[in-house]
Amino acid sequence: MGLSLLFGMFALGLICGMPVAFALGLATVAGFLYEGLPLFIGFQRVLSGISIFSLLAIPFFIFAGELMMQGGIAARLVRLASSAVGSVRGGLGVVNVASSMLFGGISGSAVADTSALGSILMPVMKEKGYDADYAVNVTVTSSVAGVVIPPSHNMILYAVAAGGISVSKLFIAGIIPGVLMCLCLGIVAYWIAVKRGYPAETFPGWKYLGVATVVALPGLMTAVIIVGGVLSGVMTVTESGAFGAIWAVLVTVFVYRELTWAGFKTAVTSAVRTTSLVMLLVATASSFSYLLTLYRVPDLLATAVTGMSDNPLVILLMLNLILLALGMIMDMAALILICTPIFLPVVVGIGMDPIQFGVVLMMNLGLGLCTPPVGACLFVGCVVGGIRIDQAVRTIWPFYLAILAALMLVTYVPAFSMFLPGLME
Amino acid sequence: MRDGTSLGGLEAMIFQLFDRIARLCVAIAGIGLVGLIVIFGWLVFGRYVLNDTPTWVEQVALLLVVWITFLGGAAGVWTRSHLSVDFIRESLPPLIRTPLRWVCAIGVLVFGLFLAWQGGVLAASTWPRVVPMIGISEGYRAVPMAICGACTVLFSLFHLYELTKGGQN
Amino acid sequence: KEWRTWAIHPDDYPNVVALNAFAEEVSAKTEGRVEPSVYANGILGAQPDAIEQVRSGALAVGNFNMGPMGEIVPATNVLSLPFIFRDEDQMHTAMDGEIGQQFSDALAEQGLVALSWFDGGSRSFYNTKRPIVTPADMEGLKFRVMNNDLYVQMVDELGGNATPMAYGEVYQSLKTGVIDGAENNYPSFDSSNHFEVAKYYSVTNHLIIPECICVSTTVWDDLDDTDKAIVKEAAMNAATIQRDLWAERSEASRAEVEAAGVEINEVSDPAAFQSAMEPIYARFISENPDLEQLIRDIQAVE
Ligand code: NA
Ligand code: NA
Repeated sequence: MGLSLLFGMFALGLICGMPVAFALGLATVAGFLYEGLPLFIGFQRVLSGISIFSLLAIPFFIFAGELMMQGGIAARLVRLASSAVGSVRGGLGVVNVASSMLFGGISGSAVADTSALGSILMPVMKEKGYDADYAVNVTVTSSVAGVVIPPSHNMILYAVAAGGISVSKLFIAGIIPGVLMCLCLGIVAYWIAVKRGYPAETFPGWKYLGVATVVALPGLMTAVIIVGGVLSGVMTVTESGAFGAIWAVLVTVFVYRELTWAGFKTAVTSAVRTTSLVMLLVATASSFSYLLTLYRVPDLLATAVTGMSDNPLVILLMLNLILLALGMIMDMAALILICTPIFLPVVVGIGMDPIQFGVVLMMNLGLGLCTPPVGACLFVGCVVGGIRIDQAVRTIWPFYLAILAALMLVTYVPAFSMFLPGLME
Repeated sequence: MRDGTSLGGLEAMIFQLFDRIARLCVAIAGIGLVGLIVIFGWLVFGRYVLNDTPTWVEQVALLLVVWITFLGGAAGVWTRSHLSVDFIRESLPPLIRTPLRWVCAIGVLVFGLFLAWQGGVLAASTWPRVVPMIGISEGYRAVPMAICGACTVLFSLFHLYELTKGGQN
Repeated sequence: KEWRTWAIHPDDYPNVVALNAFAEEVSAKTEGRVEPSVYANGILGAQPDAIEQVRSGALAVGNFNMGPMGEIVPATNVLSLPFIFRDEDQMHTAMDGEIGQQFSDALAEQGLVALSWFDGGSRSFYNTKRPIVTPADMEGLKFRVMNNDLYVQMVDELGGNATPMAYGEVYQSLKTGVIDGAENNYPSFDSSNHFEVAKYYSVTNHLIIPECICVSTTVWDDLDDTDKAIVKEAAMNAATIQRDLWAERSEASRAEVEAAGVEINEVSDPAAFQSAMEPIYARFISENPDLEQLIRDIQAVE
């Protein structure tokens, strides 16, 4: 009953067009009142849901992206990318996927990837004649690679929840599935671009490409600072995000001399807007998740699944479906903590390695990040791309299929995730 | 932040006032965001150059993020830039659509009331507690939630007023 | 009546095993009048939130570490003083007796009924650079500590560079060299996988912080005397189970990390570490003069 009330209120909020964050919050309030729980706990969850260190990277990447856009870095990067691969039909779509693969390995946050790459690439894609929904779809779905490709905060969370799993092996295990996912997405991005007849430009020549590269270099350094800072061990991901933003200011003010005071204010304002929309959602979703946990929703689902079949293939498929469903309505970090202890014994029982399950879990929940009704990446993508969620969702299904194809391969062929960690022994 | 040129008299004054409030929220949040970046620069500088890590940065940053979120969130109510799924409502016949708009605006108003009320309750109850490492009251974490709630209530009252005039929601 | 019980640790942890035993015993002996159910893994929130939830009665029971408790019950900060206990046995003797009662009284003022005391393990330093044998070996190393001024002062007094950091960041930061070390007990060193990247574990035992099973006062006051006695006894039994399992687990984790190539060393002169803490004690006592007697009493326990 309490559960129906919770979901009923949420659905009502969505149908009448309330902001998703508010619909989640109001449904949670109803649930707390119904259960006779002190209301302040729900709002305490709202606050602590965003007082999390790893989330700090999000405003930094969003801000860096805005600065890169306002100060002319993004434009130069895109000139470079399009002179390199613009002659391929749908080249910018492929560039988008490829940069997610590289950038995702740095930021470790799909939401950060969506905001940073989205704010750079989407305006250019639109300018070059790509539809906004295509730009959003590519950016959002390819950012999921950031969850699987190391480093990833979420994988560390999983390793801790699973107890005694090697984080380094888990990181290594994510590489091939992440690349596989990007490969599938790249193919889809190309195919749709061809089908929609997006333009292919003529190759501008090596000299032009060389100049474009040199001009883009100081901007590219932003990425070098972020990657280099993390890989060299000088800074944490969060700190390198902050330095990326600082560097972006320096380059756009002193090198490109394009960042005006008005442009800076615009960058700050947009970054505040995007950050607050995302974080408010994380906040109320965390409160909503609290009630789902109290109602032991994941336990109920687990019992239902194992009661249905004892065929490993069927159980795995069912698990995929449940995780996808949960990923649609719940926050990723919370789901990792809740689902791991429940589902891990089930899959270990049918012979799956905990490391492989970790990768499968990330991919499943990652896909959930770009599905409605609760999909942080999808939301950010739509905000950045300036379109409504329903406009994006109408044409996103081929990209879902690409991720699903990769997911099925990783679920049923252990070698994809287990080959590299196997080399470590 | 919004265009209020079609309004007149008292309406226009209230509109201007609320618009200023929303701008102020964004301005403060923006200063917070820039501050966030500056203190992280200081953190790395302290750790490497001074070999003395400033221990307050992490806690201050977590506090700043809450302020940015709720102040930005309040302005988002005024500019209606929050993420919502309105295609369902808009595809329904006007007979259902109009009441749903009312439900929506009232729902936002009600949640705003809860945010303001519970933000106040939390601020008061955590006031004696101290944020570790920075020594200021834990209550400051809940204050922006109360502010966001209060602004949400004001802004959605204006939206309700616009609805009575047959305006967009 | 369902008693929602909060625990931060995963299901197979000694604490959660003991809490489940507690739940079974209470449920059987009260014939279902009280039905504790354990929510492990901290899924209902972090400890500061969970404390508020238990105080308000939304949750009935919590297994709280006394480290972060200091924000709410200042007297418990005494337990966060480095080297306040000589070893775990002395901690058990103190907490099971008159001194434990003083802490229970302080907790009761904040709406928490402490029923029994668990082991929180003894924490030692580990790092990626070198064995720590004397305080001089700490010089210049960046150690992650929990968010508490006392722990920051502790590392600073020993010559290290204290770096407060979220627990989830530590693995990556150790690996990439953002920090050089951290401090924890064997089971956490093992389960967090930090041993994969930090190969030196130096047995300082600088912090021995107990944990409690705390029941919400509002929930507790609803019980009649028979049930109170049953719950209290079950909690005492759970503590016995937890302490035994904890000792086993520590031993197993120690063996595990050693097998993984971690170099474990004893410090040459524990007194050198302890005497470095004198300024911290002096400052703490000057700020909390009323707690001086409690500190002396603990130190006097055999
Ligand atoms: Na990543
Ligand atoms: Na989703």
